[in-house]
Amino acid sequence: MSEQTETATSPENTDTAGLLGRWDELRERESFSILGAIVFVIGFPMVFTNLPLFNGYMSLVELIYVWSIFAIGFDLLLGYTGLLSFGHAVFWGGSAYAAGLFSANFYGEPLLMVLVATVTASVLALVIGLLSLRRGGIYFAILTLAFGQMMYFLALGPLGGITGGEDGFTGVAVEPLLGALSLEREFAGILGTLLHDISYVLFAGFFVLTVAVAVRIVRSPYGAIFQAIAENEQRVRFLGLNVWRYKLTAFVLSGAFAGVAGGLHTIHAQYVAVGSLYWITSGDIVIITVLGGIGSIFGPVAGSIAFLYVENIISGEIAFWLLVLGSLFVSVVWLFPAGIWGIVTGIRSTVRERLLGDDS
Amino acid sequence: MLLKTSGLTKQFGELTAVDGVDLELKEGESMSIIGPNGAGKSTTVNLITGLLNPTDGTVEYRGEEITGKEPHEIVQKGLSKSFQTASIFPDLTVERNAVVASLGAEHGSFSLNFFKRLAGYDEVAGRARQTLEDMGLYEQRDIKAKSLPYGDKRRLEMALALAGDPDLLFLDEPTAGMSPDETDDTVDLIQRIKEERGVTIVLIEHDMEIIFRVSDRIAVLNRGAKIADGTPDEIRGDPGVQEAYLGGVEI
Repeated sequence: MSEQTETATSPENTDTAGLLGRWDELRERESFSILGAIVFVIGFPMVFTNLPLFNGYMSLVELIYVWSIFAIGFDLLLGYTGLLSFGHAVFWGGSAYAAGLFSANFYGEPLLMVLVATVTASVLALVIGLLSLRRGGIYFAILTLAFGQMMYFLALGPLGGITGGEDGFTGVAVEPLLGALSLEREFAGILGTLLHDISYVLFAGFFVLTVAVAVRIVRSPYGAIFQAIAENEQRVRFLGLNVWRYKLTAFVLSGAFAGVAGGLHTIHAQYVAVGSLYWITSGDIVIITVLGGIGSIFGPVAGSIAFLYVENIISGEIAFWLLVLGSLFVSVVWLFPAGIWGIVTGIRSTVRERLLGDDS
Repeated sequence: MLLKTSGLTKQFGELTAVDGVDLELKEGESMSIIGPNGAGKSTTVNLITGLLNPTDGTVEYRGEEITGKEPHEIVQKGLSKSFQTASIFPDLTVERNAVVASLGAEHGSFSLNFFKRLAGYDEVAGRARQTLEDMGLYEQRDIKAKSLPYGDKRRLEMALALAGDPDLLFLDEPTAGMSPDETDDTVDLIQRIKEERGVTIVLIEHDMEIIFRVSDRIAVLNRGAKIADGTPDEIRGDPGVQEAYLGGVEI
């Protein structure tokens, strides 16, 4: 009798295990994350702007992508390499000004603006990285903060003639994409439902590209070395690896992502606020990344959604939205140190244990 | 001559931790550095492996001066070190630990390959597997390094140090905190590494039994200075060593 029940249940179990195994294999693939990002950019606006609960709007969706790109790059540094920069506003704001100035003085083609922004941020990251990475831990955080504040006061005062000082830079002149496609041009029919307008394709496209690039970096030798540096820097050095150069590369890569985001933000806002260089912006990106969950690609995206939702929607309902944000941050970090994404992966592993019938 | 230090000195403020130490080591020879606590054994090794810069003196490896070079440069030349406490990557899997070590061995100290897939490097995976198999850790490859039992952690530590096929390996108290059984296994392992890989080993140890089992030569440090250097038998009979190291007790 007992033998019978055993033979009756075991094939079912192996079926589930086999399916889960195949699912894991799929999930391990790079294309899975990229596909996930594509499905997300098609589905997210529908949910976010149509469901009454969310009250979202398209412009906010685009802004979420911009901050997600910034946060994914920041997480390469904080979550993967274990380096806390408290001056990432330099790369975001610096690249935003570069894109704005380029559009005003040369040509405001969006892709060129993003390119100029990315190059600017990378160069800034190289210089600041060279100067601050020699110190570790809290000294590194403070050095990056100091460089950030230096840039802020430079933009506010001495460079005010170029940056517009306190008023910010108002001369942004965005041209059509590739010189032909106006960003406001809307798609018709099914394309219109899914992709809305050229502007959305631009921001969603950069978001998907960022996920693809970040996934590749994380799965390259660098991903392994970054995590090893975060865990035990001295050991990495004694494995014959030049930790200093790997850290600098992580810093520059992270700066480059911030540059893409900064350039896109200028296109989105058609304006550059001097506050983009202020230390609070550096703090925001830390909060977004930690809130979403460090050490993952999609955690920073979740963090951006939560942060911008509170900042832009809840703030319309509740006057003290900063208090809401603070409470959200404290409770997530207190209860789920792995952030929002940690909750998602936690649920995922519970479900899989249930499916495998782990009674023992 | 594989390794030669001349007048190696390290001062921390007023304290002279290492005082003019001369060491010479031939290829294939096994040397032990012994001495009471605070004798400067670990500091000497840290000066050789680049963790500390000497105040004075030089280190030569295969006739080339390596004084003051960075640890990763020295490791890339073939001089590796296993730490006293298991210095591993606790939250990475055992396999990932070995993969990181293999990256340092296969691709040099730095490589701009952040856009290449790690899974595509067969030589890295192969070396990682070989390293784990040699150390009997391959079966545990999928668990996190922090979940390994203590003895296995120490073996993983040694695996990391050996992944790059070093010519010279420093082992800093490899049996510290081990049970007698684990100690025996480790001594066997050290013998095997010597024989199969032809690695020259420098052992820093307290345990006299181990030292006499695995060393061809012993250097004795006391208060930062070398007070004796010779074969195990010579050291055993040296009255100065007995006085300094064992308080006059017969070994």
